[in-house]
Amino acid sequence: MDDLTREFLLESQEGLDRMERCLTELEARPDDAELIAEIFRSVHTIKGTTGFLGFSRLEALSHAGENLLGLLREGELTVHPPIISGLLALLDRLRGILRAIEAAGSEGEGRQEDGAIIAQLEALQQPESAATVAEPVLAAATPAPTRRRRTTGRRGARPGVHPPQSASLPGAPEEAGPPRDNEPSPLEPDVRFRAAASGEETHPRPARPMKDLLPAQEPTVPSATADSTLRVDVELLNRMMNLVGELVLTRNQILQATSADAGFSLLGRRLDMVTADLRESVMKARMQPVSYVFSRFPRLVRDLSLSLNKRVRLEMEGQETELDKSLLEAIRDPLTHSIRNAIDHGIESPEARVAAGKPAEGIVRLRACHEGSHVIVEVHDDGAGMRIDRIRDKAVERGLVPAQRAEQMNEREILQLIFLPGFSTAAAVTSVSGRGVGMDVVRTNVEKIGGKVEVESRAGRGSVLRLRIPLTLAIIPALIVRSRGQNFALPQSSLTELVHLSTGQTDSRMEWLENAALYRLRGHLLPLVFLDRLLQQPPGEPSAPCDIAILNADGRRFGLVIDGLADPEEIVVKPLAAVLREIGYYAGATILGNGEMALILNPGAIAQHANVTFTGAFEESQVNGRQAGQRDYLVVATGGRRAALPLETVVRIERIPQSRIERAGSRPVLRFEGTLLPLDDAAGFLADSGNPDAQTTVVVCRDGERQVGMTVSEVLDVSAGGLLAEAGTGAVADGITLLQEQVTGVVQLSGIPPLDATLAPTRSEEEQR
Amino acid sequence: MKEATAIRTQEVCSVRVGDTLYGIPIAHVLEILGKPATQPVPLAPYFVGGLVHYRGEVLTAVSLRRLLGMEAARAPEDVLVFETPESIFGLFVDSVGEVLHVSGEDHEPNPTTLDARRQALFAGAWKLKDRLLVSLEPERLEPMRLAGAFPA
Repeated sequence: MDDLTREFLLESQEGLDRMERCLTELEARPDDAELIAEIFRSVHTIKGTTGFLGFSRLEALSHAGENLLGLLREGELTVHPPIISGLLALLDRLRGILRAIEAAGSEGEGRQEDGAIIAQLEALQQPESAATVAEPVLAAATPAPTRRRRTTGRRGARPGVHPPQSASLPGAPEEAGPPRDNEPSPLEPDVRFRAAASGEETHPRPARPMKDLLPAQEPTVPSATADSTLRVDVELLNRMMNLVGELVLTRNQILQATSADAGFSLLGRRLDMVTADLRESVMKARMQPVSYVFSRFPRLVRDLSLSLNKRVRLEMEGQETELDKSLLEAIRDPLTHSIRNAIDHGIESPEARVAAGKPAEGIVRLRACHEGSHVIVEVHDDGAGMRIDRIRDKAVERGLVPAQRAEQMNEREILQLIFLPGFSTAAAVTSVSGRGVGMDVVRTNVEKIGGKVEVESRAGRGSVLRLRIPLTLAIIPALIVRSRGQNFALPQSSLTELVHLSTGQTDSRMEWLENAALYRLRGHLLPLVFLDRLLQQPPGEPSAPCDIAILNADGRRFGLVIDGLADPEEIVVKPLAAVLREIGYYAGATILGNGEMALILNPGAIAQHANVTFTGAFEESQVNGRQAGQRDYLVVATGGRRAALPLETVVRIERIPQSRIERAGSRPVLRFEGTLLPLDDAAGFLADSGNPDAQTTVVVCRDGERQVGMTVSEVLDVSAGGLLAEAGTGAVADGITLLQEQVTGVVQLSGIPPLDATLAPTRSEEEQR
Repeated sequence: MKEATAIRTQEVCSVRVGDTLYGIPIAHVLEILGKPATQPVPLAPYFVGGLVHYRGEVLTAVSLRRLLGMEAARAPEDVLVFETPESIFGLFVDSVGEVLHVSGEDHEPNPTTLDARRQALFAGAWKLKDRLLVSLEPERLEPMRLAGAFPA
């Protein structure tokens, strides 16, 4: 059996486990669109892969299942028991074939029974005939009592548990049924939690790919490298990663506690260095080169291009780029989908290419590289590019975006539409792609691991799909927020912006539609979820100041209303006990640098609970309607005056105690991320306040090469501002803009004098750190 | 209980909740955390007292007061850390007292007049000279088990 088939088996079995679980849940909640979508994806993935592996029975069966599920997903059919029975029969049949492939390498015979199931699934597509036709056919296909017993027997089983596979297949060689999930490791709760934290399915991923368990795969001749390398259980590495995370926290606490003591600070710094090194080493141990995933693609490209009568060459670059093992597993599917799309939709037929003056052979380029704390994986094709007008028409036709809005969208915004669920431009449903699950699956899977997907396209030149993947999952950047005196951590990956409402503003700026609260963010209504109410915390003062964290969870945008903000922090995700996981809103807990604990919120689960719908297309469109010459400004109040800062220059907005502001000579300065910022005290707070605990808002801005800070009394809004022309001359006025119908001064950052080196004696010391 | 009588004497850690003295065999106690910082968990099952930090992990701690339907403690509580085959978890008690030596001969089963909840939670009691020491077994206090046995 080749690697590809082996991987296919592993993935399909996982997919079917998921499907089984979803199906049984669906019986209880027949209206749950998420469940239907999940089942659809499982079947779709199997179908997509079987085509080019040549498993025609599987393909025919999953195609029939997909047709039925497609109708369910579109809402043209509603779920009723015969449909679930039919799908379960399909599931069992698919499982049986997978087992046969695993044991014998081929699908075996049984097309006749397949035909019965396919006929049954087709019959179920007719709403009225379903109930009458389904059961008899089913009975003919599989002895009903047996099937029933098996499915009910498994209903209560732990997700992901298989019956021992060799047992159900007499004559199968013993090693063909790997003891996958039957031997939970002692660390399993941890692993399951990790999967849950990253938003994946909660059933444990088999720690080792199947090939490790098959004797044929064992290297028989020890090579020179075998002497210097060692196989290590991933569980052990997970554990080490946890401990290192712990050490990082302890280090932070020690550094905080000993910062005043000169002798300790030297030791502390050494501890700091060793910890950083150790953390890096352990992270490195978990890394695998992307070639591990890339290596399956040449075959995929070859088979796909053959079946589509296209000529495609695959080029791969940066295969040595390393990525955390668990993340590598997670990008496998999205990458497969993307490559499939690039070949099916991107690359033209050889004739069309020649006619367009391009070489007959198309190129798909896979490229991986590091960029900061991310790994970028690009799928580039030199095909026809995406046709903006077709995407727009399709999105309107499918009701994904109102026609009027679509007209106003620019190219970039329209490209984003391809990530909406249910979007597809393929004229015909092919066996390769075109069901409109591909891109939405890509986006969902990548966002689950805290990554991002970008797309670029040029007509006639090709498209690029870019996956931006974080290097590691174990430590995530988060913003600590407060609600009723408690800490909560919000993953930065889903946080898009923060809005502060001061006393009195809470009533005027929030709008109510019956009992649904809304916030108008740059002209668009955003649903609001109150964290305290969601968590049934005791109610606070009605019009107290609050913050709104604007979150984007898998394309669902909403505002989470919280009492206040604490610091952004890198946190180590700690698993929660099962009884607390069941609450659903928490992705885990963490211990903060100051020793306090915080629960990590799961924005996706909160969005789902609050019924926030998918708004991915509209988030981008909010910039439309902006006229030429307009830019976005951050509107601030400085001592009673309104002022505007060009938004692209704003790096960060910080609330800091005044005690953190130091003086270099007569100038106020702020230590910021290891550098020293010259501070413009425009609001004049520093002069008259003697209270070191008083809080000040500082806007950190980029001014060319340098960064500067500006104290403001309040951040009011972000708004688009137009240029003002002088009456008569028409000359554009400098330094003022029209914001929300008010003429507002634009802060001239270059006017903040640079720090004189002689005035800042601490600077060189800072840079050494 | 059979085990308890089989061992002639054993060491139990005495803890106080309200006016009652409870005893847990010290072999089951992983560690005692003195008045640790706790983090409440909104929407958690009623018997969860909160989270505590224990050796780099975040432990769920059961509140004996809440489990027994008593009012919340006014002062910070101590936490016992238990390890069962299912999980490691904590137990909030008012205070941890001394280690006592108790004899299996002094052990009595739960009185039949005890309410059903306490029947299920307590493992009998030891007769001390001047008072009773209620026997607790960590397995019965495991959060997942409590969730099944005493749903809200």
